[in-house]
Amino acid sequence: MRTIIFIAKRLVYSVFVLIGLSILIFTIARVMPGHPARMALGSRAPDWAVERLREEMHLNESLYVQYYYWAKDALHGDFGVSLVTRRGVANDIREFFPASLELTLYAGIFMGIMGIILGTISGWYNNTWIDNLVRIISYIGIVTPSFVFAIFFVLIFGYVLEIFPTMGRLTPGVVHPPLITKMITFDALITGHFAVFFDALKHLFLPAVSLAMGGMAQEARITRSALTDNVNKDYIASERSCGIPERTIMFKYLLKPSFIPTISIYGLDFASLLGNAFLIELIFNWPGLSRYGMNAMLRKDLNAMTAVILVFGLVFIIVNIIVDLIVGYLDPRIRLGAERTQ
Amino acid sequence: MSKIMKILLISLCLIGVLSLGVAGAAERPLRITWAWPTYIDPAVGSDFSSSVALVNLYDTLVYPDVKGDAQPNVAKSWETSADGLTWTFHLRPGIKFHDGTELTAEDVKFSMNRLTTIGEGYGFLFVGKIVSIDVPDRHTIVFHFKEPFGPFLTTLYRLYIVNKNVVMANIKKPGPYGDMGDYGKEYLLTHDAGSGPYMVKKFPLEEYLLMVINPNYWQQIDLNAPDEFKMIGTTEPVTVRTMISRRELEITDQWQSLEALTALDKIKGVDIAGFFPGTEFYYMMHTKKSPTDDIHFRKAIAWTMDYKTVVDKLFPGCIQSKGPVPQTLPGADPTVFQYYRDLNKAKAELKRSKYYGQLDKYPVTVHWCAEVPDEEKVALLFMSNMADIGINVKVVKTPWMSMIEECATEETSPNIVTIFDSAHYPEAASLLESRYKSESAATWEQNEWLLDPELDTMIDDAIKTVDREERFVKYGKIQHYITDLCPTLFLFDQVEKHAYQATYVDWPTAKGEVIPVMGYNFAARFIKVYPDKRSELLK
Amino acid sequence: MQKDSRRKEGLFRKWEDIRRYWYKFSRNSLSIIGLVVVCIILFAAIFAPYISPYPKSAGKFINFYEASQPPNSAHLCGTDVFGRDVLTRVFFGYRFSLMMGIVVLALVVPVGVALGLIAGYYRGSWLDTIIMRITDIFVAVPPLILALAVCSVLTPGIFHAMMAVSLMWWPWYTRMVYGIASSLKGEFFVQAAEVGGASRGHILFKEILPNCIAPIFTKMSLDMGWVILIGASLSFVGLGVQPPTPDLGSMVADGSKYLPDQWWIAVFPAFAIMLVVLAFNLLGDGIRDMLGAKGG
Repeated sequence: MRTIIFIAKRLVYSVFVLIGLSILIFTIARVMPGHPARMALGSRAPDWAVERLREEMHLNESLYVQYYYWAKDALHGDFGVSLVTRRGVANDIREFFPASLELTLYAGIFMGIMGIILGTISGWYNNTWIDNLVRIISYIGIVTPSFVFAIFFVLIFGYVLEIFPTMGRLTPGVVHPPLITKMITFDALITGHFAVFFDALKHLFLPAVSLAMGGMAQEARITRSALTDNVNKDYIASERSCGIPERTIMFKYLLKPSFIPTISIYGLDFASLLGNAFLIELIFNWPGLSRYGMNAMLRKDLNAMTAVILVFGLVFIIVNIIVDLIVGYLDPRIRLGAERTQ
Repeated sequence: MSKIMKILLISLCLIGVLSLGVAGAAERPLRITWAWPTYIDPAVGSDFSSSVALVNLYDTLVYPDVKGDAQPNVAKSWETSADGLTWTFHLRPGIKFHDGTELTAEDVKFSMNRLTTIGEGYGFLFVGKIVSIDVPDRHTIVFHFKEPFGPFLTTLYRLYIVNKNVVMANIKKPGPYGDMGDYGKEYLLTHDAGSGPYMVKKFPLEEYLLMVINPNYWQQIDLNAPDEFKMIGTTEPVTVRTMISRRELEITDQWQSLEALTALDKIKGVDIAGFFPGTEFYYMMHTKKSPTDDIHFRKAIAWTMDYKTVVDKLFPGCIQSKGPVPQTLPGADPTVFQYYRDLNKAKAELKRSKYYGQLDKYPVTVHWCAEVPDEEKVALLFMSNMADIGINVKVVKTPWMSMIEECATEETSPNIVTIFDSAHYPEAASLLESRYKSESAATWEQNEWLLDPELDTMIDDAIKTVDREERFVKYGKIQHYITDLCPTLFLFDQVEKHAYQATYVDWPTAKGEVIPVMGYNFAARFIKVYPDKRSELLK
Repeated sequence: MQKDSRRKEGLFRKWEDIRRYWYKFSRNSLSIIGLVVVCIILFAAIFAPYISPYPKSAGKFINFYEASQPPNSAHLCGTDVFGRDVLTRVFFGYRFSLMMGIVVLALVVPVGVALGLIAGYYRGSWLDTIIMRITDIFVAVPPLILALAVCSVLTPGIFHAMMAVSLMWWPWYTRMVYGIASSLKGEFFVQAAEVGGASRGHILFKEILPNCIAPIFTKMSLDMGWVILIGASLSFVGLGVQPPTPDLGSMVADGSKYLPDQWWIAVFPAFAIMLVVLAFNLLGDGIRDMLGAKGG
């Protein structure tokens, strides 16, 4: 019951945040001087056509009225027409989002699991060479921008070793399996195209890893420090003295509480994941929403830009709610509903 | 049903689906890379990639030969009235659209009306010129003009004939065009309604455009012509190189940098095809904004630029331009004056300019197009050249879309915009008109803001001249007139370079049969692909 | 006499303090390394025109006859496709990276901290609600995305890049200070000051603020690295510093077009970014140890 109230509260609250966000982005996109209608039709289009489009887009009205119309349409899932693809932005989002989702999913999973594994190893072998090695790796992971990772990986794995493809989602010529989720690995698994599945996985590897490195390092660091803190706690010592086997101590009493801080910052690390996807998809020519959004920004495609940022805001909010739920489940002491401070 | 049977059945299904995934490859695919966006709506598309697609999807009344002259195509013959105000075309009967219906004069009329109403793409070539269109019978069409229009025949290369019935059936209302709703724009964004040698099969935006051969095309197509034509939406050098070396790409885009082309040339069986498509690279100088509003200042710039390094080092193979019209374009005047680097002359001009002695206060901003990385090299060369005579240059990398927007008003246009521009139809008038007439001042094609009524009259007068020779003489005079104003740095006539699989692709353009109209060198039906030679290479 | 000795004692105590801080800081040799590297980078950035081998390469200079040379004795890190010395451009690139970091923090910290103090002290009032709900909106989107969006609608350039990053960054300081300030509000010394009739300004800046200094400083030294990183990301996509001004992010972006043959053009600037962020991180950790602050 408490959980439901919590979720409901968070949802209502998220709606307000999203409204605020939409106002913010809308203002950013519209206050700048420009001629969206003229740009949509091209410089040689007759004036009457431009004027007609201006009226259609309500560009002659005040900013508040414009926002009202925009929000009304947005609620119906209509984010206007993209200047570049000339289609409805909502259409484009549906088309490009699955690729981004797939990439972020794999990166997110990689980030969480590898971070926890590395952190645990490091914490368990505290102050040995293994620990030092992991700490160095995580330092490098934290300080290196994802686009630098991407370029190093392309250079090493794509060119020197030639083991991983560096571009796109599938080898050219490989036929995309039937569209169900539009995420190739899942589609291939569902329909049983295992060769396609492995091909897609291979293509996912470099972008997902370069995306995940920063967050992974952060997770490893947090897990390690939580673990070393907990190892020195009294209750562990008393369990040891009771003769409980090391493995049980490790998995039952040590790991669970140590994960809590790791998972709580997972939501924050996810932010860097989503943000960096804008650069990574560009580098790996990944036909996802981030690349679409990045191109929209570079080409001043304002309708597309506004919608893409909103979508990412939404994803980010959802992930944070999930993280809060998991933390609440793992540690009942943290009262659900208490505001998370960053 | 027993469990074993179920498992058997499922695995059988799986095998079936698995084998499906591999099948379906074309026998003689032709794949090229290109820069997005591509618009395959004949009333919208006008850039490089759109032109390539449109040429393959649609038919035109007349077709250009290597000299740029009009040859019969859908129209088997035509005649002009003595006053040049009426053009009559007689269509070939029996030409079928992709849906099987016949192409008639009514469709041609519809296509022209649609193009001029929407006004995007190549619409500007005809807007305001045609008074009315008559269709006396199914296979005859008559265009009535307000004033004589000399180059009309060659502009018809840009009138792609759409299927009226298909468009009318796919109109979405309400739209910006009144009764016509959206004039089928949404439908034609991803579908074709043409009669051309290729048909759209699949068009995932931003990824690729896949076209297949039209088996019922009304003209003979060579047996070795590609059965599938795919335009891949990337110019990313790494991808391009990988695909070329795996023989998964036949012809590359023209935006590969010099370094990338050198690397491509080293791959076995790959050659570089270079030809002059009638494209010129301009530094358009704003003649109404200080300091480039001073003709002596502009001349100083023209004397300072190091043209030789540009054509020798940065764009090898290109030649320095002579005036505003590329030398390969019909109507270009070979006697036009050419500047060269001479710092003494430059300094003398600079002294005569009103900005002499206060150059620090008047920096020159240069905006280059972010999508074309090689332009940066020229921009930096320009910057360092101008520093030699004390002119302060600010270089700004500008995305294409922003450039269009900036050029829309006199105030927001920067001092200099760098641009590759080519003729829309193969005659000097095309560039003279689209680059220098007052009507084009608000477009990206003119940053000069000349707004010179005398020049406008000269160009109008030339275009109205129906006699070709007489017209070309007038073109020559205009070119001298413009060069005297020095509104532009005429840098070079571009050599368009493509790496291509010379071993198994037979591409007439690469052998010197160059059609001086954008897009027409990529008419896939004239390109031959030999799959057995390809498989030999792959061994 | 007495006065003098007391002053001496004071001096001595200060000296003792510094020594104690230094001891805490230097316990971890990594912090020392961080400090040294930061100093070296600062030095290289400030004196770039004097110590770099080809200072001309940082400006309006091109030499296509020396283009794309691999690392050699004349050009330790090679030259780029314009024939400019890569090492020189890295030194100059540090100038803009550091400038970006310093300017952004100088803009962000006062604003963020002041808002956080106010919201924390007036916890529960409408001021608190407004300020904190606004921060919620800003932190609802990954900062890089919003910074990219703001930069894209403005004309690209270092000034606008700084503005955009600043706009995204202040809420984090507000939230941090808010947490501390709202917990201190009920503390005895704050209440004592209130009862004693101290002005609100006094309470905010003289009583509460000093307690936030340690975490603020720690966060600032860590953030130097992050701001530099975001700045580099912005110029990586062409929305930050404009050419030919050298910037590490755009150098990596431009160089990546010439991989793998001309690897040095992208790889050295990439290492340079890693080095500066690493150094500030190590320094930040050291400062945290020294001030005994948590979080950051």
